[in-house]
Amino acid sequence: MSTRRFLRVAIANRGEVAVRIIRALDEMGIESVLLHSEADVKTRAFRMASHKVCVGPAPTAQSYLNIEANILAARSFGAEAIHPGFGFLSENADFAEACAKAGLVFIGPPASAIRKLGDKVQCKELARKLGLPLVPGYQGANQDVGHLIAEAEAIGFPVIVKAAAGGGGRGMKVLRSHEEAFDLIESARREAQSAFGSPLVFLEKYLERAKHIEFQVFVDCTGRAIHLNERECSVQRRHQKIIEEALSPSLTPELRQRMGEAACLIVEAAGYRGAGTVEFLFQDGQFYLLEVNTRLQVEHPVTEMVMGVDLVKAQIRTAEDEAVFPEHQIRAPRGHSIECRIYAEDPELGGVPSTGRIGHVHWPEGPGRRFDYGLEPGDEVTPFYDSMIAKVIVWDETRPRAIQKMLRVLDESVIFGVKTNIPLLKKIICHPEFVAGTMTTRFMDRHFPGPVKREKAAGEELWIKEALRWIPKSVGESATNAAGNSPFHSPWRGI
Amino acid sequence: MMPHRYLLEVNGESRWVEGQWLQGQLWLHLNGETFVVENETKSYGQGQSGKAKSDIVAPMPGKVTKVLARNGVAVAAGQVLIVMEAMKMEYSLKAEQAGEIQKVDCQVGDQVALGKVLVKIKPSGDAP
Repeated sequence: MSTRRFLRVAIANRGEVAVRIIRALDEMGIESVLLHSEADVKTRAFRMASHKVCVGPAPTAQSYLNIEANILAARSFGAEAIHPGFGFLSENADFAEACAKAGLVFIGPPASAIRKLGDKVQCKELARKLGLPLVPGYQGANQDVGHLIAEAEAIGFPVIVKAAAGGGGRGMKVLRSHEEAFDLIESARREAQSAFGSPLVFLEKYLERAKHIEFQVFVDCTGRAIHLNERECSVQRRHQKIIEEALSPSLTPELRQRMGEAACLIVEAAGYRGAGTVEFLFQDGQFYLLEVNTRLQVEHPVTEMVMGVDLVKAQIRTAEDEAVFPEHQIRAPRGHSIECRIYAEDPELGGVPSTGRIGHVHWPEGPGRRFDYGLEPGDEVTPFYDSMIAKVIVWDETRPRAIQKMLRVLDESVIFGVKTNIPLLKKIICHPEFVAGTMTTRFMDRHFPGPVKREKAAGEELWIKEALRWIPKSVGESATNAAGNSPFHSPWRGI
Repeated sequence: MMPHRYLLEVNGESRWVEGQWLQGQLWLHLNGETFVVENETKSYGQGQSGKAKSDIVAPMPGKVTKVLARNGVAVAAGQVLIVMEAMKMEYSLKAEQAGEIQKVDCQVGDQVALGKVLVKIKPSGDAP
């Protein structure tokens, strides 16, 4: 098979993942074209990209989700391929198809594979045909709310309702009783419509003690599927992952092999290419296929750390028709890696989003520490996009050492200007259940359901008094005056 | 030398502290924790005129996607009155206590600022 070499690749995404892709392209000697919204001019990705094109205004429907605008912009700058990152158009088969029609290589699986796997209903049908274990549920075409409630009752509460086209926790609600079912199904449909452009939902039995374990799969240009072991992502809130790790502390080698084989089986059957993730729920020694994410995952770095691979480069090379991950180079997993997602939110207010201009930032670099972020001092966290602003990833020889390192790194990480969930993250990784590795997807609901209050350290007032006395106002305030002029400080007024 | 880093001294002990003034507030990183110095801050929903504890207040900037409250209607504690969307997530705002809705001050599609009173509620325990 002859390979090709890209000279210029467009990125239809933003934030830290755009930075991640630009870096991979830079290292491969490929120019990057950042397709960004009007709101994302003052960002790290914008500063790093070789070329940038504005594809529309801040709201995602008009920019990051606008298929035509992205393709037009990529072509006008002579890009040969588009990397969609994660979220936005990354799991949109129409986009993959439109890219192909426009003569652009979509860096991801073929549209047909996205349709088979990305649509959760179709994916389950395929899994059933292949004999893979599934959680009982309803994924019928009858979307009448009354009918959905009847189906939920047949499955037996608690039942989870999910967006058929979705991921990342949007359009997902747990129904615990007949009474609240109507409102929650309606809410899930609105979220699904707003986030993915489709109100279709399906139902599933909600497993109360399950762990979330997912397998990183990769299918190279020859169609051969391999897996790069698993990640555990049981620490979730509102179905959004907060902490992920590789490998899972709960799998035996025998289970790992069986789940890995199941993961490879389904992506091979769908004619998949590139990086993908097969998610499972794991409870009482049984595993159930949950869904397949036909894209790079937010938490891909923990796999990169323990497996010694670069998944983004492998995606690009696969799109260039190059064979990647030759068998003799795939190593056994080594050590342990943990990722904490940094969200711009106020833990003292139960996690409501925090927007504003970033002030001073310090990432404590060191061996086995990795920081993926998209904003720098002076940049703005706007209310238009996801509140995840950075990822902190550590690697160490063992899980306990990785936990110790993460705690230290979070202690030393500084972000001023917006509140972050760092205080909450520290409490989570010190929790006995997390330390023991026995946490389930209910962990956050059970142990951290509400606001997390800061406890004052002994003698703190004396230090604060000194700080108030010595830290000059002028140093930080020069940046703040500019913040007053920011178009996004009170974004709604201008619209 | 790193910016925003200061060597402070208390009772003969020296420590590096990171700090920065942003919009009239001192942000500090001390003992492994980042926080805003309390006496310089005013939190939303407290000490502001015309705002009662029973009212529904926007907990973040965002868009109103559903209004389930109507003037003069009695509501139970925990009843969902407003649905908002911010950062692509939906948030249901519930009545904290039972009462009667006095005023609904928002419409579907409104972009509202943090701290805006969306629904005024007269708690049922109050004397008329």
